[in-house]
Amino acid sequence: MLSYIVRRLLIGVLSLFGASVIAFTLTRIIPSDPADMWMGPRATVEQIERAHVELGLDKPIPVQYGIYMSKFLRGDWGISVVTKQPVLRDLAGYLPASIELIVFGMLVGFAVGIPLGILSAAKPGRWVDHTSRVFAITGVALPSFWLAMLLQLVLGKELSLFPLIGRVDLLVEIMNPIRRITGLYVFDSLITGNFAALKDALWHIVLPGLTLAMYPLGLATRMVRTSMLEVLREDYIRTARASGVREAKVLTVYALRNALGPVLTVAALTFGYSLVSTFLIESLFAWPGLGRYAAKAIVSVDYPAIMGVTLLVAAFYVILNLGVDLIQAVMDPRIRWS
Amino acid sequence: MKRGASAFWVRIGLASLFLVLAVFTLSIVATGEELQVAVHLQGAEVVPYWDPSDGASGEIGLMNNLYEALLRYDAVTNTFTPILAMSYEQSEDAKTWTFKLRKGVKFHTGNVMDAHTVKASIDRTIERDRGSAYIWSPVDSIEVVDDYTVRFHLRQSAPLDLIVAAGYCAYIFDPEYSDHDWFNAGNDSGTGPYTVESSEGSEKVIIKKFDDYWGGWEGKHFDRVVFLSVPEASTRRLMLETGDADFCEQLPSTDIEALQDNSTVRVEVNPSFQNLMVLYNNQRAPLDNALVRRALSYLIPYEDTVAVALGGHGHVSRGVIPYGLWGHSDRVETFTYSPTVAKALLTQAGYPDGGFKFLLTYPAGYEDLRKTVELWKAACAELNITLDARAMPTAERNAIARSPDPVKRQDIYLLYWWPDYANPDSFLSGMFYTQERPAYNLGYYSNPVFDALIDYAVTLPAGSQEAIDLMVELQNILQRDAAGIAVWDMQYLRAMNTSVQGYVDNAAYPNVVFWYNCYRE
Repeated sequence: MLSYIVRRLLIGVLSLFGASVIAFTLTRIIPSDPADMWMGPRATVEQIERAHVELGLDKPIPVQYGIYMSKFLRGDWGISVVTKQPVLRDLAGYLPASIELIVFGMLVGFAVGIPLGILSAAKPGRWVDHTSRVFAITGVALPSFWLAMLLQLVLGKELSLFPLIGRVDLLVEIMNPIRRITGLYVFDSLITGNFAALKDALWHIVLPGLTLAMYPLGLATRMVRTSMLEVLREDYIRTARASGVREAKVLTVYALRNALGPVLTVAALTFGYSLVSTFLIESLFAWPGLGRYAAKAIVSVDYPAIMGVTLLVAAFYVILNLGVDLIQAVMDPRIRWS
Repeated sequence: MKRGASAFWVRIGLASLFLVLAVFTLSIVATGEELQVAVHLQGAEVVPYWDPSDGASGEIGLMNNLYEALLRYDAVTNTFTPILAMSYEQSEDAKTWTFKLRKGVKFHTGNVMDAHTVKASIDRTIERDRGSAYIWSPVDSIEVVDDYTVRFHLRQSAPLDLIVAAGYCAYIFDPEYSDHDWFNAGNDSGTGPYTVESSEGSEKVIIKKFDDYWGGWEGKHFDRVVFLSVPEASTRRLMLETGDADFCEQLPSTDIEALQDNSTVRVEVNPSFQNLMVLYNNQRAPLDNALVRRALSYLIPYEDTVAVALGGHGHVSRGVIPYGLWGHSDRVETFTYSPTVAKALLTQAGYPDGGFKFLLTYPAGYEDLRKTVELWKAACAELNITLDARAMPTAERNAIARSPDPVKRQDIYLLYWWPDYANPDSFLSGMFYTQERPAYNLGYYSNPVFDALIDYAVTLPAGSQEAIDLMVELQNILQRDAAGIAVWDMQYLRAMNTSVQGYVDNAAYPNVVFWYNCYRE
């Protein structure tokens, strides 16, 4: 097992190296001048030239890459051309907001999607199945920005049930500032006993969280249904049913355990993907997350920020994939460490 | 029995939780009534530059509440309000300016503002040479006459009263607290009515009132102001409608029209010094021919662009100096939409059948620009001229425009322009003075006569009749050459909660709300 983990980690490091080379090259060959952004909208030619030297853009690209990576490994991820802050500090600020939102959205999505998938597989061709399939397809196909605006209009503006934007109400933030420990507002306010902020943070996460939940919900429903239908045809399920095991137990214990493997893999990939793909949701809800940061970095060709986000997300992918493989191996004895 | 007992404790637990939450919520509401908080929305980042020496961008709204300059210019009355300077005088040749400073002014750091700190602030800004620091280029040296008198010696005559009142890079700060990284960590050391309480990236900054502010806190004021970046216009509009925000800098004209029916939102249309400029590539055929450039200028449906792109909230430009700024004049020649004249000019230039394809770049993300370009594109197509219009991020299109290889440059470059301080020279020398390596002369125009007149114009007293006449002449040179043209002069659309009072728009400080002057009624 240990050698398997070490081997996978080595492959992960190679993947990160590849991602860094591709991202670095792409940001440099795009016809754009980060020095222009660095110096501001009214920069003179002399100022821009000075910025080229300051940012090391006057050196050959391989040299720039070497300098970048050596600093990167020492914890200096560069300064964002847009925010003028160290990229690592930016990421530490933006990442928890995204993680909080994605965890909430995925919890809701899978908590609803998995039972729906089980129900659908248990009653194939019946109205429950049809309804859940329509729901699942809608969840996957619905444009998130459209759903976000709809929720804002109906639940935010018309019914005033939920706040429109942000992570916490501004007045609550001023009166009951959240002591930052992890950057996850719900968690931080809970462990510091800041209940006013906790309630408000939970209230704020509902609309963006529901918007984000729709995709994993639809995906989980579809995948659990497909996997379950396959597993339910297996001999051991027929044996269990013939032995008089309750149907609920057959579904949730014997069948689901073996059907969850692919769902876990997809969950991990969806999590990694959501880290930066949620920029529209984050934009609409003014949620200061990684997706919004990444989108802004790309539009501005903020190369240190692009590199930082790329490597961070790539690292997440590597770790999540490894984690999922380990969990699957534990759950399913048919999978061997080889 | 056991199940009943556990259900009982669950109920008790839930009731306690709700009680705690209710108490907390009530306490917030009760305290919130005493605290006056305003929410200021921006589409762009709140603070691209924390360093007061560096700014030239969207931070202007925040910074002008944290920092102050020596004077403040009123663009409507063309007068100056004393801020950190109580009075000033200039020599006859406008090369020596002496400012008497206000006494008893404290920085947010607790230190006292005096002539030494004023000199150190401006010297640092000049030395860093970033953002709009070039505004100080006429300054040769700054002399501390006494603790509360400072004297500027200029290399050439310049309107220093306008420069010290600039919205960017004219801030006075505590030189003892002027480390660049310290600023970047979200700190300030100004003398303004507010100081930073907290910040979250460059997207949210909360400022609180500075108790020792020299203006005092008598009367009604806001205790806190939250500056929030909300990129989506639809969300900004919703926040105004629901009362979650008090002020929004800019909204698309369609949203403004919708908001005008809302009784809780007040919409103001204010003049601005901002216009839309079109810069033709004067060095590349066939645009190196003034006849072709003039023909293209006659193909812009000016009135339609104002009606469609700006929703009627603007003026068709007359010359490159916008309405309201001295130097703007009805004596400046202008273009009108006339395909017939355009066709005649193309024939005269030897291109009766058109057949050109021009690469036009404009900043991405601006609906008014997109609409303007589409209208122009349709008009050009009538004469067999294709505009290959591309909306691009600024850094990307500037890299093309400033490429050392002229072949790689665009044919037509669109940009918004506004002055760093209320001076028309920015519209002329910034974009049309010969530049060997172009910074903003991105039409690559070069005319020695024009350059010589600009050199002379900067020596004239600002706003004098001779200076105005020269501005008219300079603009007419540009119009006749069609070196580059202005399409429309914007009006700023401000939407705010009706309860906010005291707001006065000032075109010299675009997008700035001086929150100290505002209150909730």
